[in-house]
Amino acid sequence: MSFRWKQAEAPVRAADRGDPVSQRFSDQLIAVLPRLRRFARGLTGTATEADDLVQAACERALAREHQFQEGTRFDSWMFRIVQTLWIDQLRAREVRKEDGDVAEERLGSDSAVRTIEARLALAEVRRAVQLLPPDQRTTLMLVTVEGLSYREAAAVAGVPVGTIMSRLARARIALQQHLETGGGSRRSLKNAEAQ
Amino acid sequence: MQKHSDDTLVAYLDGELDSAERQHVEAWLAADAAARDRLAGLAQSATLVRSAYVDIVNEAVPERLIAAARGENGAAPLSHDAEILVLKRPPRTIVSVPAGRWGIGIAAAAGLFGLVLGGAGSYLAVGGLNSANPAAEQRLAAAAANGTWLDNAAGYYKLVVSAGDSMLIDVPAGGDTGEALQKISQNLPQQVRLPDLKPWGLSFRGARLVVVEGRPAAQLVYTTDNKAIGPLTLVIGASKQPDIQPTFDRRQDVNMLYWRHQGRAYALVGQTDIGYLWGIANDVAWQLDAI
Repeated sequence: MSFRWKQAEAPVRAADRGDPVSQRFSDQLIAVLPRLRRFARGLTGTATEADDLVQAACERALAREHQFQEGTRFDSWMFRIVQTLWIDQLRAREVRKEDGDVAEERLGSDSAVRTIEARLALAEVRRAVQLLPPDQRTTLMLVTVEGLSYREAAAVAGVPVGTIMSRLARARIALQQHLETGGGSRRSLKNAEAQ
Repeated sequence: MQKHSDDTLVAYLDGELDSAERQHVEAWLAADAAARDRLAGLAQSATLVRSAYVDIVNEAVPERLIAAARGENGAAPLSHDAEILVLKRPPRTIVSVPAGRWGIGIAAAAGLFGLVLGGAGSYLAVGGLNSANPAAEQRLAAAAANGTWLDNAAGYYKLVVSAGDSMLIDVPAGGDTGEALQKISQNLPQQVRLPDLKPWGLSFRGARLVVVEGRPAAQLVYTTDNKAIGPLTLVIGASKQPDIQPTFDRRQDVNMLYWRHQGRAYALVGQTDIGYLWGIANDVAWQLDAI
């Protein structure tokens, strides 16, 4: 009866072995996870889908660690990966059409459901965001929620600054119109704003 | 024209216009009440959008994402090096021995030929360090490695140690350890029992609330004057993962033995060597019926 384990063979972590996943890169990734989750939540509309998306983005980022350029914004790089994966998913699932169906469902055909949801003012805002076309949704999340400049958002989305400007304007106006026509939720939105 | 105006208003709100453009917009706003209303509406919607998502960044990040960020997901090779040991219920024959006498003896024995605790003619023979079905064990270890809770357990240990005498104990042992455990158990899905590790020279200092697999767990803190063992922590939490054999790992420069048994996850964490950890883990498992 003896140890199979020997001191010389003591386990070590992958990072200690010099594996490609550097500790510093992982630390950067972990630090930005909360914002990636928020960004992904804005894109997908659900927590589960958002976390799946972020997980996929982490895996892709680790696989392409060598492509990240030191001195550039790590969060922007990750936002771009999340966005790219999401667009890929939309295309693969033809979600543009499905999105409309889901949006209708989320709005709720049942008036009782609508009434209950109307009380959740911020949920109403998130639902309104989900009604936006994907490119506008992405732009809104990047600039208005994540605080990227137009230039930074343009780099993430891979479009000119002018496109960001117009997408953002369309998104904000559509959002405003939706919220203004939100019927019973109008009052609660004002309450939410006041808080 | 309206579209251009909207673009400009939004860019104005976002501070994206240069000085000349800004002055142009401000002049326009001064002369046009409708534009001012529109600007107010846009500002309101922007505020609402930010508010709608502000709480998400304060949510606890799921462990699976942290694991993914560390490259520990799926078939990640983290557990490849983890040594899997098999706990067998040892005879309950531990004899208390002054720490100074058996410390070196145990380390030498453990390092050389397994765990035989010797001292003053009394000994503890810990049986059962057999390897069992390596393939199955490796699969279990791989599944276990997905959880970042082991890294967390190492972090919790370092937090306690770095605090020194001012340990961050949520529930100090005081005179009544039963009361301490009762308090900590109030926050846990299951009652926590306290292993008596005095035969190892370890004194229970108290318990802290920590997180295992996203749920509250207990970190039991033990200290000793025996520098060969040093402070130890035992993390006990509820788990939905399948049982796993005791596995040795080293994370964040800290040694640990972890296992899962019947819905509970255990991690014995310290800076001492595998010999001590193994012996103490055996004792813990025996006392808590966690084998």
